Amino acid sequence: MPVKNRFAELQEEITAWRRDIHENPEILFETHRTSALVAEKLKEFGCDEIVTGIGRTGVVGVIKGKSDTSGKVIGLRADMDALPIHEQTGLEYASKTANAMHACGHDGHTAMLLGAAKYLSETRNFDGTVVVIFQPAEEGGGGGKEMCDDGMMERWNIQEVYGMHNWPGKPVGSFAIRSGAFFAATDQFDITFEGRGGHAAKPHETIDTTVMSAQAVLALQTIASRNADPVDRVVVSVTSFETSSKAFNVIPQRVQIKGTVRTMSAEMRDLAEKRIKEICAGVAATFGGTADVTYHRGYPVMVNHEEQTDFAAKVASDISGNCEEAPLVMGGEDFAFMLEERPGAYILVGNGDSADVHHPEYNFNDEAIPAGCSWWAGIVEQRMPAA
Amino acid sequence: MPVKNRAAEFQEEVAGWRRDIHEHPEILYDTHRTSALVAEKLKSFGCDEVVTGIGRTGVVAVIRGRSDTKGRAIGLRADMDALPMQEQTGLPHASKIPNAMHACGHDGHTAMLLGAAKYLAETRNFDGTAVVIFQPAEEGGNGGEAMVKDGMMERFGIDEVYAIHNSPGIEAGKFAIRPGPILASVDEFTLHLKGRGGHGAKPHMTVDTTVMMCHMISALQTIVSRNMDPIEKAVMTLTSAETSSKAFNVIPDRAEVRGTIRTHSEEVRAMIPKRIKEIAEGVAQTFGGSVEVEMRIGVPVTINDEAATEYAREAAEAVTSCEDVPILMGGEDFSFMLMERPGAMIRLGNGNSAGLHHPEYDFNDEIIPAGISWFAEVVERRMPAA
Repeated sequence: MPVKNRFAELQEEITAWRRDIHENPEILFETHRTSALVAEKLKEFGCDEIVTGIGRTGVVGVIKGKSDTSGKVIGLRADMDALPIHEQTGLEYASKTANAMHACGHDGHTAMLLGAAKYLSETRNFDGTVVVIFQPAEEGGGGGKEMCDDGMMERWNIQEVYGMHNWPGKPVGSFAIRSGAFFAATDQFDITFEGRGGHAAKPHETIDTTVMSAQAVLALQTIASRNADPVDRVVVSVTSFETSSKAFNVIPQRVQIKGTVRTMSAEMRDLAEKRIKEICAGVAATFGGTADVTYHRGYPVMVNHEEQTDFAAKVASDISGNCEEAPLVMGGEDFAFMLEERPGAYILVGNGDSADVHHPEYNFNDEAIPAGCSWWAGIVEQRMPAA
Repeated sequence: MPVKNRAAEFQEEVAGWRRDIHEHPEILYDTHRTSALVAEKLKSFGCDEVVTGIGRTGVVAVIRGRSDTKGRAIGLRADMDALPMQEQTGLPHASKIPNAMHACGHDGHTAMLLGAAKYLAETRNFDGTAVVIFQPAEEGGNGGEAMVKDGMMERFGIDEVYAIHNSPGIEAGKFAIRPGPILASVDEFTLHLKGRGGHGAKPHMTVDTTVMMCHMISALQTIVSRNMDPIEKAVMTLTSAETSSKAFNVIPDRAEVRGTIRTHSEEVRAMIPKRIKEIAEGVAQTFGGSVEVEMRIGVPVTINDEAATEYAREAAEAVTSCEDVPILMGGEDFSFMLMERPGAMIRLGNGNSAGLHHPEYDFNDEIIPAGISWFAEVVERRMPAA
């Protein structure tokens, strides 16, 4: 079974929605226009229930099948938010808003799930209930967590959840997935070293915060090289380093460093946090200064459940002939929170030879729409076959 | 004879000027408000000539004595500029401007020289001419050099120059001096590092500029510990380091490191920049990045003239007392004036305050009468009334 004929028919209409959303990107929880557009479309399709304001600006739609003897409820999730990047594609439907851009294809994800909702409302060829979930603030805002915290899973009795992300570099319409840990836990740290500032010509009367912080950055490199089990994965990147002094002749009182930690297991994540605190405190003590470490836990490791992953791969293979094993991804994904609440799976769909996600020249490939929509419909129709 | 009575009477008024200047710090050559305030005061004192715009925002005033039988002129110099740092004194007269602070006491130097100008313009009890010099950009801007290059020495016929710097740690109001080299040469440099930026989660696709920078900062410490003759004196400090990325998840492609070099000899002054370049380039190469070293030649070693030092000491002893000071690693833009004319810089104890350039430093207003008296003594002793 390749893509469903109905989606080939709907492709032009779905593409128009996608480009409209692309032209009007909204950041984090500010997806007011997009959420309104989504809710309006869902009404137009004849969804049985549409609720806005879940997780601030999230939207949920309910579509009941022809029958409900199974009592099953499946959640399908897309993200709606854009990134604070200035678009440089030169497309006719490029972002109209400065420093806001759909550079991660959430415009495509939203449009494809709308297309699936339209089809499922038309056909209702399943035994159970579909809940379509449109979340804000996937890019660093924890919008998925907010929807869970609003009691979404319980309110609609969702039993399984599925998600999809487009993937540049993979042929259009092809799929890839992996079971278990898939996307990394993404944490941030913000460390302030404090020494004793003073005149650059009197180093002996100071505690040189610049030298202390540089040694700490070097010592942090040993978390990946010396503390981590070589078969486990960890990235510790110090991305920003700034002395409180900008002068040529003032030894700074403080240095602020910032960075990110990516891990693929809860144990490695705990170890990285512990070692960052120990190393900074130790190096600071060596030089007679102090280190104030703020470790902010972001998205947890996103773990695909085995049974749902196998099922999702089978649906994908039915559409495109096969489904590859995806590599581990060191990026983070907010869908991790939903997968902590319910079993489910997250799949990648090929975006062809495009610029990479988060690049100012990236664009979602509209040719992927029929495959993506067909996968959503396949998940529903095969997991809850019509009685 | 202790401090001059008239100077003691001035203290409250001069402290008022000092605190006003302290509240409105200005950096480098941007001493527009301070220069205007100085020029206005000098006019109100009845100085014979007040000239602005010498060395961009510098101010010079001439005060003629009762007589001028020998045609001599003594220059007295103060600095007006503040530092780019955030004040943390919590004082009622703390800086009103973020990231600008009088953390080196130039507010006090300026106020004391204004006080001395007021006294000298009132009394004129000398035979010759006093030239009061208010310079901008002492802190790394070569404001003193700019004034010299504008022909100040020739224009006002200055024969000798004298200056005060306050000194935390020396008893308030006591003086200290030494002949010969007293302060270091100061050169500054900026390292422009370039790696290859990228995503914080994909270190293997980048050349991490932050890690390269930190290796450089650490390796540069060996210049003083390993390359220098232990008998020599020098300091190399990296004061500012900043990556181009401020984000948590973007590995920066550039970084900038700034620093200063202090020496007491020309050999060491030549060796250190050479080693900085070799080490920086070596480390950059190690990590597959690159670095550009930008050197900024600053002030030479400050050398007190031997005879002038004695005159300065005698004046100080007349006011309070004067001890010997060790050679210091700070630099002083007054060195450019001392290269042109014989003269001396004296240190005036600021008492038990925080160190210079510290965010909690404040000039000690109690030392104002001593400073004013010393300036007046230098003029009255070097050019005694006929």
